[in-house]
Amino acid sequence: MAARGWICTDESAKEMLSRVSAERSLMLLPPLHRVPLRLGNVVEIAGPSPSAKTQILIQAAVYCILPKEWRGVHYGGLEHLVMFIDLDCRFDILRLSQSLKHRLMETSGSGNKVSWEQNDDPWGSGTEEPNIGYDEELFAACMRRFLYIRCYDSFEFLATLKTLHYRLQRARETHGVTAHFLMIDSIGAFYWVDRASTSLHLESNSRKRLSLQSVSETVVEEIRKLLLVHPMLVLATKATILGDTYSTNEVKRTSMNLSSNDPSNLRTVTGGPQKLSYREFMPLVWQSFVTHRILVRAADDDPANSKYQSRSIFLSEWLMPSLNFSDKFIVRDAGVFVVS
Amino acid sequence: MELLEDVQQNKQVLSTGCEGIDMLLQGGLCVGHLTELVGPSSSGKTQICLKVASRVATRYMGGVVFIDTGNSFSPLRIAHFINQIPDTIFKEVEQNILEKVMSQILCHSVFDIFAMLDVVHQLEYSLRSQVQTGADQVRLLIVDSISSLITPILGGSGPHGRALMISAGFLLKKLAHEHNLAVVVTNHMVGGEGGILKPALGESWKSIPHVRLLLSRDPGSSICHMSILKHSYMASGRAARFMI
Repeated sequence: MAARGWICTDESAKEMLSRVSAERSLMLLPPLHRVPLRLGNVVEIAGPSPSAKTQILIQAAVYCILPKEWRGVHYGGLEHLVMFIDLDCRFDILRLSQSLKHRLMETSGSGNKVSWEQNDDPWGSGTEEPNIGYDEELFAACMRRFLYIRCYDSFEFLATLKTLHYRLQRARETHGVTAHFLMIDSIGAFYWVDRASTSLHLESNSRKRLSLQSVSETVVEEIRKLLLVHPMLVLATKATILGDTYSTNEVKRTSMNLSSNDPSNLRTVTGGPQKLSYREFMPLVWQSFVTHRILVRAADDDPANSKYQSRSIFLSEWLMPSLNFSDKFIVRDAGVFVVS
Repeated sequence: MELLEDVQQNKQVLSTGCEGIDMLLQGGLCVGHLTELVGPSSSGKTQICLKVASRVATRYMGGVVFIDTGNSFSPLRIAHFINQIPDTIFKEVEQNILEKVMSQILCHSVFDIFAMLDVVHQLEYSLRSQVQTGADQVRLLIVDSISSLITPILGGSGPHGRALMISAGFLLKKLAHEHNLAVVVTNHMVGGEGGILKPALGESWKSIPHVRLLLSRDPGSSICHMSILKHSYMASGRAARFMI
């Protein structure tokens, strides 16, 4: 009788499809909205430094930790946990709280929006205003859904990954919701350090040597195992080195810039809508693990375009799946906004 | 959430002593951040470092560790900055304050990266093992010209130079975050493509500092010009002019 239970079907294909599409629904996150993403995808956001990659992560995190509805106001968030692994150790929590506050205030439709935008100071003087315009309790509840871990080298990163399963389980018990996003800031942060340790020869061969290859393999394997048990969307940023196919364009652009009188003509100059090649330095194991890739970079500030003065425009271009156009987006206090 | 509380409690903003910079950075240097000052020669980087050191030592009564690679630390200039602050009236009080402040600024001369790592490790051990009182707590770590320590070992296709640079960067960031210090490093500029100057230390260094500030000085005048190359939450490109 027990054997018969093995053979009987669990569910039909139609039931499975409806179940999976309810659990793992498609998401659209600006500025990654060209390609719908679902849990289980691994997205790599590549770009030179600085190019707003962490801002994109913060935007996605805010979208995830916002509740769907709170006291009658519809926020439209996912109300799930976000696990942020900071390998770059450069994450600024004030920026996240600023974005979250902006979103809360925008949605709750308070009249203080104008005065908040003029007062750009994030150091607490804003909360002393008489009418705050956002719910403190909601803010605290949202911030608690953001889990943060910092790793200073590959050992710590591997240790974190191995214990992540238990951490997520414990977080699920505390909060009652699962984690939907796994964010890794700068997956290539330890690349050089790991490469350098490859050439060091240890005396004993019994212990497995920590090399770039073995670290990457372990990382991929651990994340894969984790995704089986906790289905999550993995967003990883990567600081790349753009190739030199556009160097001729750069010389032309900089000579144009020199004629105009702006003092900061040391900005990263990139070519226009042509395709930029960049050097892929992560090992093949990681490259084949990634399912989606998007390239972001900073574009020139057009001096004639004074509307976006002192705010850089960034270009984003999907490499995998390969789309032929690039979007422009800017970063404002409230988050990332698509321009074109 | 605990991160936010920690930031709000422990990580204050240290004023740099120069109003133009303070206004640009919305208060000054952030504790827990690694700030990089980039600029061509004699654009005022060391002057700003000295000014910040004197300000932190007087205003916040905090210890300052100055790691000096080019013999550019000048106690006279620090004394000059301290005397500029119009707080004291009597000469003896001034002298005492001067002595007290100067004793809080520790200067180490290092000439290669291993010595610097040594000093930083020692600082880390002493911070970890010591119970810090309010007055003597080290608040600021300045590495004047980290580029002169790293540039000799960078280069070539071998990874060791860059690995050392990145691990030094991580060590400084770890120190800043866990022990509530503000870290300032200075960098010089090299020629890039087309003859335009760009910051030294290459692409891999770009993702290490939290804040990168570009300095320049108009030739022949004492007005400095600073713009933000990169900041955690401020748009890059904002600029300020000031005088030291």
